[in-house]
Amino acid sequence: MKVKILRQQHPGAKPYWQTFDYDGSSNASVAAVLDSINYRDDIVDCDGNPADRISWECSCIQGMCGACAMVINGVPALACDTFVKDLKGDVITIEPLRKFPVISDLVVDRGIIQDNLRKINTYIGEYHKENEKDHELEYQIGRCLKCGLCLEACPNYVKGDNFYGPLFANDSFFVRSRSKGDGKQIKKDYDEHFAKGCSKSLACEKVCPMNIPTLASIAKMNRGK
Amino acid sequence: MSRVLIIGSGISGLTCAIECASRGNHVILVSPFPSERSQSVLAAGGINAVMNPDGEDSIKQHIEDTLKGGCYIAGEKAVTGLCTSAPEIVSWLESLGTVFSRDNDGKIATRAFGGQSFPRTHFSGTATGKQIVTALVMEARRLEGFGFIERRFWTDFYSGLIRDGVCYGAMLYSEATRNVEAVTADAVVIATGGQNALFGKTTGSTQCDGYVAGKLFMQGAELKNLEFIQYHPTTIVTEQKKMLVSEAARGEGGRLFYEEDGKRVYFMEDKFGPKGNLMPRDIVSRCIHETGRQVYLDVSFLGKDKIRKRIPEIYDLCLKYKGLDITKTPVPVVPSVHFFMGGFAVDLHHRTNIKNLYAIGECASMYHGANRLGGNSLLAAIYSGKTAACDLCGRKTDAPDFSSEVKTENEKLEQKRKSESRFPVMYVRGLLADTVNSSLGIVREKGELENGISSVDYYLSIADKINYDRSELEYFNYSLEGILTLAKAVLISASARQESRGAHIRSDFDDQSEEYRAATVISYDGGAFRTRLTGEDDYEG
Repeated sequence: MKVKILRQQHPGAKPYWQTFDYDGSSNASVAAVLDSINYRDDIVDCDGNPADRISWECSCIQGMCGACAMVINGVPALACDTFVKDLKGDVITIEPLRKFPVISDLVVDRGIIQDNLRKINTYIGEYHKENEKDHELEYQIGRCLKCGLCLEACPNYVKGDNFYGPLFANDSFFVRSRSKGDGKQIKKDYDEHFAKGCSKSLACEKVCPMNIPTLASIAKMNRGK
Repeated sequence: MSRVLIIGSGISGLTCAIECASRGNHVILVSPFPSERSQSVLAAGGINAVMNPDGEDSIKQHIEDTLKGGCYIAGEKAVTGLCTSAPEIVSWLESLGTVFSRDNDGKIATRAFGGQSFPRTHFSGTATGKQIVTALVMEARRLEGFGFIERRFWTDFYSGLIRDGVCYGAMLYSEATRNVEAVTADAVVIATGGQNALFGKTTGSTQCDGYVAGKLFMQGAELKNLEFIQYHPTTIVTEQKKMLVSEAARGEGGRLFYEEDGKRVYFMEDKFGPKGNLMPRDIVSRCIHETGRQVYLDVSFLGKDKIRKRIPEIYDLCLKYKGLDITKTPVPVVPSVHFFMGGFAVDLHHRTNIKNLYAIGECASMYHGANRLGGNSLLAAIYSGKTAACDLCGRKTDAPDFSSEVKTENEKLEQKRKSESRFPVMYVRGLLADTVNSSLGIVREKGELENGISSVDYYLSIADKINYDRSELEYFNYSLEGILTLAKAVLISASARQESRGAHIRSDFDDQSEEYRAATVISYDGGAFRTRLTGEDDYEG
C-alpha cells in the first residue's frame, strides 16, 4: 500500500508530494501508519530516496484531544481514529488542514480558533444551573476538541475573519444556556459571526469526531431572541 | 502584583493561572499546544469529595482511605488539606459551568471507585477531565480578556533561570524563531504532568515526557518517590497504544475474571470478597500479574441502557479500537503504566527546594504516597494549583541579568544544529523505553534495575556528543539529556527502596519494611545522584 503525503518544510516553503510504502496491519490507524513510517531505521520514500521525518501533531492517540486532525483521502478526520481497513483503494492520501497556515508537513496553526473565541468573550460570566432538558446537549458540546475539522469541512468557513464556524455556534449555545442574564450579547455575536454566514450544509456534523449535534445548537440559538 | 510564569496548561496549570489572575497578578501561561491537547482531557472517571459529611461518609474517612491507599507514606497534613478542600473544589468547578452528570434529585452524581469506604467520586459521564478542561478554559479566557492572563503557544521550556538557589524565571524555546529567550518572573510554577516518555507510550499523552522535571533536577531541584509508578489494572491493547478502561467500569459494577477449564474464575472476589474488584489499583494490578493469564473485564450484565448512560466513552472506545461491544462481550485487559506518584519534592505550599520555584499536579509528588486512589488525581491537580497560587501571590524579586547565559545557550543550539547528522534522537528514546519497561515492570528486582542503570549510563554518555537530528523538532533533540537523567533518577530510587510497598514491588524484598515508611528524596550534584529517606510530614511541614 502507498501513502501519499503533501509535505512542506516550513511556513514559507513550497509544498510537494512524497509517497511512502506501507506494508503493516490494516487494523492500524493512520496515526500508527505515520509512526511506522517515521520510526523505520532508514526513512526512504517509495523510490528509495532518503526522506525527512513527517511532522504531525499528536497527544492522546485515542480520539480525545484533537491534535492529529488532517485531511485523509479528501475527508477531514483525526488520524488516530481513521483506520486503514476503512479506507478505499490502495493509496492513502494525507494533507494538512487547508484552512489553517501550515507550520510544517501536517502541522498547522489553529490559533485562530482560540483568538476568535477570545475576541467575542466566549465564556460563562455567572453560572446558571442548566435546564435538565439541555443537559445532554451541553455535555456533548463540552466534549468539543477544538480540532478544527468542522471548520475544514464547512463550505462557508474561509479563514475565520468574520464567520467563526460551527464550533462557535455550539459554544454560543453553551455560554448562553449556562450563564445568568438574558444572553443578548452572545446572541448578537452568534448572529453576526455565525447565523449570517451559515448555509446549513451540515458538513460539520458529518466530520465531527465527537458527533456533536451542531444542528441542535443552531436550532436553539435561532429560536432565542 | 506578581508576575507568574506557569509552564503547562492542563487542569493544574489552568487552575493556578485562574487563581493567580483572580487575585490581580499577571500570569504568563506557557504550553506548546492549547489545553484541549493536554493529558487532563483523558482523565475519565471522576473527582473525589465528601459533599455531604452528615451522611455515612466523612472527610475523616476520605483522609483515612487516601493515607491507607498510599500505604501510609503520604503526609497526613497534606492529605487533610486535600480532602477537606474537596467539597469546595467540586462546588467551584460547578460554579464555573462544568457539566457534571446529575442524579435523580438534580445533585452531582456519585459513583464508587477503588479503595473507598463509601462512593464519593463525582463525575461527568466518563469524560470528567475533558468537561473540567472545557470549563477552566472558558474561565481562563475571561481573565485573558481582562489582561491578567497572557497565553503563549508553540513555546517549550528550555531551562530554569536559577542562581544561588533562587529561581528568577525560565528560558523558553520557540520552534518558530528557533531561539531561546529569558522570561523573568517573581515565581515559576511547573505543571507539566507525568513522565510518560520514559516508558514510550503509556495510557497518557505523548506530550508528557518528564523533561522539565529532569532538567530542573539537573539544576538542583530535588525529586521524591520516583519509584512509585502506577500500573492501571485495566487497559486494552491496541495497535497504537494501551488505552485506559476507566475504573468507572468497575465502579459501576464491572467484574474481573479469567477462564479455567471453561469456567470463569472471579479471582478478585474470591480473594477479597464482594468489593474485590474495587481494591486499590496497586493490589488489583499485582493480582492480575500473579494470575499469569489473560484477564477479562465484564460489564455486559449491567445492561445496554446503564452502560450507554453511565460509561458511554468506554463503550465507544472498546467498539472503535477493539471492535468489541461491551454490552455483549467481556473485554481482555492488561495492567499498564498510568500515573506517577513521584515528582518534584514539594512542601505543603507546593514550593520546591529552589526559592520561587513551585510544582503542582502530577509532576509534584504529594498526597498519593505509594499508590494513588482513583478520583484523587483531578482533586490534587486543582487543589495544588490553588495552594501554590495562594502562597506565591505578592512575591517580588529583582532578576539579575541572564543575557550572557541566553547567548551561550543559543550559540550551543546553533552549533548542534549545523550538523547533517541523521543519528535519530527518537531511536535513543526508543532504546530508553525498552530499558525502562524491562527494569520497572510491575515486579522489580536488583539485577534488572542495575542493568537499567548501566544502560541509561551508556545512553547518557552519548547524549551530549551526538549532533541534532535535523528532521526532528529541536525540542526532541535538546530534551534528550534531561529525560535520560530523570530515567536514571527513577531507576536509582527504585533500587534504593529495598522493600515492597504500594506500586513498588520487589521480588527480592517481598515485604513491607518499617525502616522504609518514608519518602525517597533524590538530588543531583554535578553528575552525582544522592538518595535519602525522609518522613513525608517532615518534608511537607
